[in-house]
Amino acid sequence: MRNKKHILDLVKERVVILDGAMGSLLINQGLQIGIPPESWNVTNSELIQKIHLDYYNAGSDVVLTNTFGGSRLKLSAHNHGERVEEYNTEAVEIAREICPEEGYIAGDIGPSGKFLPPVGKVTIDDFEETFLEQTRILANVEVDFFFIETMVDLKEAESAVKAAKKTSNLPIFVSITYKKTKRGYFTIMGNSVEQCVDTLHKAGADVIGANCTLSSNEMIDLIPQIKQFTDLPIVAKPNAGKPQLVGGKTVYLTSPKDFAEDIFQMVEKKAAIVGGCCGTNPQFIENIVQRAKR
Amino acid sequence: MDLYTKSKEAILNGNTSLAEEIVKKAILENYDINALIDTLSEAIREAGDLFEEGEFFLPELMRSAEAMKAAMGILTPTLSQEKESRFIGKVVIGTIEGDIHDIGKTLVASMLSAEGFEVYDLGADVPVATFIDKAVEVDAHLICVSALLTTTMVGQKKLIDTLNERNIREKFKVLLGGAPVSKRWVEEIGADGTADNAISAVKLAKKLMVL
Repeated sequence: MRNKKHILDLVKERVVILDGAMGSLLINQGLQIGIPPESWNVTNSELIQKIHLDYYNAGSDVVLTNTFGGSRLKLSAHNHGERVEEYNTEAVEIAREICPEEGYIAGDIGPSGKFLPPVGKVTIDDFEETFLEQTRILANVEVDFFFIETMVDLKEAESAVKAAKKTSNLPIFVSITYKKTKRGYFTIMGNSVEQCVDTLHKAGADVIGANCTLSSNEMIDLIPQIKQFTDLPIVAKPNAGKPQLVGGKTVYLTSPKDFAEDIFQMVEKKAAIVGGCCGTNPQFIENIVQRAKR
Repeated sequence: MDLYTKSKEAILNGNTSLAEEIVKKAILENYDINALIDTLSEAIREAGDLFEEGEFFLPELMRSAEAMKAAMGILTPTLSQEKESRFIGKVVIGTIEGDIHDIGKTLVASMLSAEGFEVYDLGADVPVATFIDKAVEVDAHLICVSALLTTTMVGQKKLIDTLNERNIREKFKVLLGGAPVSKRWVEEIGADGTADNAISAVKLAKKLMVL
């Protein structure tokens, strides 16, 4: 058994560095449309493991398992619903094999891809059921904590936190996806920063923050707004700009250096856990580590 | 408050049953149906503007679109009786294969049908061949293809390429939807247009029908 600090103790001591993107890297490696990225935990595990290792080597304290779309609701959309346990279990095993002594493994949980009425047809119970299953599997294979992310509906995020809470005592990080409107930051469902922070705090989250959609420069002003409503540690995981399709290839235009500068500004505004979302790669993490040393 | 103002409020509040009640009353009391429809259209455009402004979010917009659709469902048959059908054209719409993002596409579909288009919504994760076969089958005027991922946008190109290969490109106008879709992409693959939101999409679709 590795003898390392509890993640929440580490957060109190210094800025914790997460990893960067997984999905966009897999697509660059040839992941085809219609194939769930989680299936590669079984069919292409060396590649997933190599990405985790590259992040640890770049200076990530934490890697997120390749289980973002590993809930039954989400996998069922690809007709892989029956492989929930296999994909989630394998994901953690792959990461554990190369996890350094001081490294952490976070069980990644993304949205189900389904919506409550009037947008969609699922119920809160459906959310709860799917997240109970996924968190139970991840807890059984002993992830260090849960990382619930990219949630655009506060009710779904709340369900996931509650499910995680029922499953185990592991710390829960939860990260919401906001868009910037003329009136400030909101989820596409219209949840304000205050509503999100309050609800998630009450549901039992240990760390609260934001990821995806916003590019790093857009996320800077969001951090003090979250801070104003909570004393919990804040996580920030922006995109490397907006995706653009150039000559048939997806590119993100923010450079690793500019990204690291933006991240540093967020840290000055009290972001305690930082990393990258879409369009980032180990080089972005390396730049954050270098910037932190200065 | 007059009936027109009430109908507008019902749409903006996303109150489907009230919207239905008002249009039924309007029909019974021989109100000017075309003026009523103009008012409803104005309301749905305002809902779209509110969405752009960050005052409305997805749930509000969906509810407004649903109320509009329900009201139009009652009004449209009375119009055909008057031989003044508001039918504008036929649209085949869907999200391209590999992409399960449904919301934007569904919203555009609701708005198009609310405005008088006959809409065939194929859902999400739709193969190129399904789009084309349906468009041929119903003799559609427009094909609307949504892609929310830069990785699935290539499917939009495949659709245009396939139409060209089958020598039927000229039969349809092709509109592209999805957050990552740009004017540049439209030009690059030779589509007929794109719009920033559902309201602009409807305007564009109407414009293309006139051409």
